[in-house]
Formats: sequence, C-alpha cells, structure tokens
Amino acid sequence: MKTFVVPILVSALATFIPRVIPYWVSFLDKLPPLLSRMLRLLPIAAFGPLIFPGVFLDYVPHLYSGFAGISAAFILAYFKGGMILPILSSIVVTYLALLLGA
Amino acid sequence: MSERNLTLSTGCKDGFPIFIGYFPTAMAFGLVVKNLGLRLWEAVLFSVTNFAGSGQFLAASLIGSGAFLAELFISVLLINLRYTFMGAEVARRLEDGITGMKRALIAHGTTDEVFSISLMNPGRLPASYMAGLELTSYAGWVSGTALGFLVGLVLPPALQLAVGVTIYAMFSSLLAQEFRKKGIKVLLIAAISAGTHSVLTLLLGVKIGWSFVVSMLLASFIGSLIIREDV
Repeated sequence: MKTFVVPILVSALATFIPRVIPYWVSFLDKLPPLLSRMLRLLPIAAFGPLIFPGVFLDYVPHLYSGFAGISAAFILAYFKGGMILPILSSIVVTYLALLLGA
Repeated sequence: MSERNLTLSTGCKDGFPIFIGYFPTAMAFGLVVKNLGLRLWEAVLFSVTNFAGSGQFLAASLIGSGAFLAELFISVLLINLRYTFMGAEVARRLEDGITGMKRALIAHGTTDEVFSISLMNPGRLPASYMAGLELTSYAGWVSGTALGFLVGLVLPPALQLAVGVTIYAMFSSLLAQEFRKKGIKVLLIAAISAGTHSVLTLLLGVKIGWSFVVSMLLASFIGSLIIREDV
C-alpha cells in the first residue's frame, strides 16, 4: 500500500519553518512597505484558488451543489459571524442540492 | 479581556472555544484524507505534525492531484507565511526566559485562533498559559481528525460528498469575515486569484501547485498596489 508519510512531513516542514522563524529572528520591521503589504495579503489571495474551481469540479455532474453550500456559508458568516453554523448550513444546503440534482 | 492571572488552567479555558471550532473542521479533514487513501495513523500524523487548517487542506488536495514535493512545499509555505507575522507578535509578548524547546513548541501551536485569543490579554504571556491554550486547541484538531476519519468509514457516499463541502465552506466563511472587516477589496483580491487559478489549471493545463503559487503571488501583488493602508 502507498504511504503518504513523505508528503505529510514535507507539508509539516513548510508549516513549521514560517512559524518558528519569528521566535528567533525579527526582520519584519525592516521589509519595504510594498513587500510587507503583499505578504500580509497572501492569506486573502489564497482563498480564491482554495475555493475555485474545486467547489464546482468536485461535484460534477451536479455542478452547482457545492457552490450553493458555500454561498449559504458566506451569507451566514457575513451576517452572523462564526464558523460552526455557516459550515453546518453548507453541508445541509449541499446535501439538499445534490438530492434535487442541482 | 481584563488583567487576570494567566495560568495553565486559564489557558485551557480560553482554548475551549477554539476546541469547539476546530473539531468539525478537523472531522472534515479526516474525512477528506480518508477518501484520498490515507490510513488512520497517517491522517492523525498529518494533524499532529502540521496543525494548520488551510495548509493541511491545501496539502491534501495537492497530494490528491499527484503534485511534486517541491510544489507542495512552496504552496504550503506561502499559505503559512501569515504565521510569520502572527508569531512575531506573540514572540514579542512572551515572558522573558522562555527559550529553546519551549519556544519551538509555542511556535508549533501558533494558529490563527491561538494568535487572536492570546493577544487579547493585555500583559506578558507565560509559557504555562500558552501551553494550556495551545494544547486544548491541539486536542480538538487531532481528535476531530481521527473521529472524522472513522465517521467516513460508515457515512453513506451522498452524505460524504455533501460533507466534503466543509473545506470550501470554511474558506468561504473566512473570506466573508475578512470582507466584513476590510471591505470589497478583499473580494477583488480573492476574485483575481480564483480567476487566475481557474484559467491556468483548466485552460492552460498548468499543474495545480504552481498555478496556486502564481495566482496567490499575482493577486497579492495587485492587492498591495491598490490597498495602501495596512490590512
């Protein structure tokens, strides 16, 4: 059976390195402002490709089921905040959309 | 939060809401990696060694698509770069005399939520408080992963497909919260990266990991030009 240990540990390293660096070195104050702003925007820029096009492709042939689910989550998170309710609602909406064949 | 005595037990108490929040997300992660063909101990190893929401989901989808290790490393590194900024703030607030292994362990536990909660305290942060806070969150993440994996063994396929939306729902909720805090530019940046990634992977056949890196860098570069104030 195939083992996944190597990619798991590569991913762990790619997580630990950026986490541990600032506990020993401080260099962030010395970066040029444009670069510093760009680095701070990376997490927001990550949301796009983390959601699209996967949320459509995972549900082929029911192209819109996942999208219906995340729309519900987006709206709830925007108005109510939090994560638990939006996530649970997205599961329900996606399930219903799959049943309806969306 | 007002000034209180920060101990192991106040840390655990503060970590409890994080535990509750992580648990269902980690369950979704366990379910996703089960479907990728990981074994239970590998799923648990994933969460034990990584302890990062978006990073782990990204890594899982790259592993699923058969990405090269270099793609995996760079993509996960980029998405986790935010921890460098968060860690810098937490490190500045730690009590003096926390060194070596303790510092490394605190670094490993610095997630988005641990960062926000710990910095709500006005004073310096003792190692015992950080240990309580981080271990409670960690427990939620690791145990949720294991339970999600096990639930995946018995859940009917249609429901599993629906539960799979959890990853996207998590990112979409986070995006909605950023949008509420920082305005329409957030959606613009996410739309640029989503559009770039879709074009590169679907139309131009670029491998998913590299496409992810390019779209992220492009969108945050454009974002840094249009957003002048600190976000």
